[in-house]
Amino acid sequence: MPSRVTPILLVVPLTLYMLAFYALPVASMLLRSIADPSWTVENYLRLAHDSVFLAVSWNTLRTALVVTLGTLLLGYPVALALSRLRHGAAAVVLAIVLLPFWTSVLVRSYAWMVLLGRRGLINELLLSAGLIDSPLRLLNTPLAVHVAMIHILLPYMILPIASVLRQIDRALLRAAAGLGASPRRVFSQVVLPLSVPGVVAGILLVFVLSLGFYITPALVGGPRDLMLSMLIAQQVDLLNWPYAACLSVALLAMTLLLILVLQRLPAVRAVLRAATQ
Amino acid sequence: MTSLDRRSFVGLAAWATAGMAARGGTRALAQSASPPKLPEITSIPDKLKGSGAVRIAGYGGTAQDAERTAYFQPFEKLSGIKTIDVPGADLNKVKAMVDTGNIEWDVVQLGRSSVKNLMKKGDYFEKIDYELVDVDNIDPLYRYDYALDMLVWSEVMAYRTDAFKSAVPVGWADFWDTRKFPGDRTLTGAGPVTPELEFALMAAGVPADKLYPLDIDKAFASYDKIKASVVKWWETGAVPVQMLSDREVVLASVWNGRMAAIQAAGVPAAISWQQGLLKRDCWAVPKNSPNKANAMKFIAFSTMAVPQARLSMLIPYGFVNGKSAEYLSEHQLGILPSAPAIKSQLVPYNYDWWVDNRDVVVGRWNKWILA
Repeated sequence: MPSRVTPILLVVPLTLYMLAFYALPVASMLLRSIADPSWTVENYLRLAHDSVFLAVSWNTLRTALVVTLGTLLLGYPVALALSRLRHGAAAVVLAIVLLPFWTSVLVRSYAWMVLLGRRGLINELLLSAGLIDSPLRLLNTPLAVHVAMIHILLPYMILPIASVLRQIDRALLRAAAGLGASPRRVFSQVVLPLSVPGVVAGILLVFVLSLGFYITPALVGGPRDLMLSMLIAQQVDLLNWPYAACLSVALLAMTLLLILVLQRLPAVRAVLRAATQ
Repeated sequence: MTSLDRRSFVGLAAWATAGMAARGGTRALAQSASPPKLPEITSIPDKLKGSGAVRIAGYGGTAQDAERTAYFQPFEKLSGIKTIDVPGADLNKVKAMVDTGNIEWDVVQLGRSSVKNLMKKGDYFEKIDYELVDVDNIDPLYRYDYALDMLVWSEVMAYRTDAFKSAVPVGWADFWDTRKFPGDRTLTGAGPVTPELEFALMAAGVPADKLYPLDIDKAFASYDKIKASVVKWWETGAVPVQMLSDREVVLASVWNGRMAAIQAAGVPAAISWQQGLLKRDCWAVPKNSPNKANAMKFIAFSTMAVPQARLSMLIPYGFVNGKSAEYLSEHQLGILPSAPAIKSQLVPYNYDWWVDNRDVVVGRWNKWILA
């Protein structure tokens, strides 16, 4: 009965890979947070009272939220256009979306430093247009972090949504229109609901990636734009590996909790059901 | 993308900035079109000769290019020991290597405080073999049981020369004086680097020779006064010089070696040496290195007068061997933190105090920056 055995065999290589290179390191990190040098929960007790950890966690979550919303608002229309364009034009738009994807995060973050600076392109333009009298402080602010991260993460939102939109059966749209629905109504009652799986995938990808950002906030952020990843790096540098492990577990838990909560949403549950059937 | 780790980030950031600083068409000193005529070394004592290989980890970038020309190539030729150098030197990697018994580096470039911090956690480094070293010409300040300083640098004030008409900021009280020297500033924060409480204290009037032990409360009270003018607390040396180049700030604390590149690119910026901190990088040998003997020979060679002078000619970082000065011109000595006229203006960084207090300072720092 090959039909029963084969699917299991197919996932064996990845399972082994994930065990060796993901599960084991994560387990050893978990262990380090409670058993280095001896069994203790002290690190976690310290975490609960660590006002810095709480403030930075809040900042990290808020940043991830703003970036996710930003990519969704900017990305959805692009994905929609991408799904409606002819083949040739769609390929061009896709290339434009993907181009930044192939550039290193560091280079893109530096590019934002050049654009947002006191004497950067944006300020110079505004100055020469007479819209402002003195340069605005754009760089080294939370705004700069949001703008740069949204730019970097946009493809992660656009691609899943566009791929779902492309798969929508055009006959449904024609049927809706034929039955008298206005274009706006076709969108809100047919296209939008059918695109939810892509939106959910995009939100999850962008949110989870945002939580772990380090480079961009470090380069373009202001004095208070601390992310959890920076706090972890700081503890690693202080050779406080157990506490660093504890902070990493907290970040992991936050991410998992979020996925768990998202899974409870009715729209998401429908998606998951459809995927497993 | 986010998996790009922070160490490679620091290295890459350095690279990216070097590229940006080179926009003006002039290249960094280490890559200048006409390389300086380096003093040659033709023979070494037999005790430094051997066979096999030695694996050396540095910080990468232009500094490691300079080290290759100054140290690695002549050592390989004269000693018969093959040198293999890699970037990415990192204290945490040394710890992981020794913990797992998989030693990939025989010699590693670190800061003295890193070595001391790790020695507090256990037996992570080999003792330096001072039998081989030119101890007669190396200041005891630079020698430590488990590491030998090999590169002298300075954390100093730098400023835009076009920002304050003819006024020149001298000392940290001027850096803190936003009325006399208006404009945004950048200083070191807490991360892989430590904040310069010394600067805050000198700004508050503590004399340079009475700094240690540092008064942490007083330092943070002094930081309060400048906080509003500091637009960025940086954690990699590429950032402050970039900000000076882009006119984001008029005053900055910088690593002195980074300034040459932007000055060569035509940025009107200068170093004010007074009250800078004299810091050092050192060589250390991870415990149980399989090429320990070769490592010790290399360390002894690279701290000899000629190799040290060669490095200072390639990149403006100072030498630890007193005899190296004989090989350098007046002009070259004018930009080196270890040159006598400059060294006397600097304050030697107290590594011991920082090893004992870094945890406390970083904890205070995090609360202060978020407040």
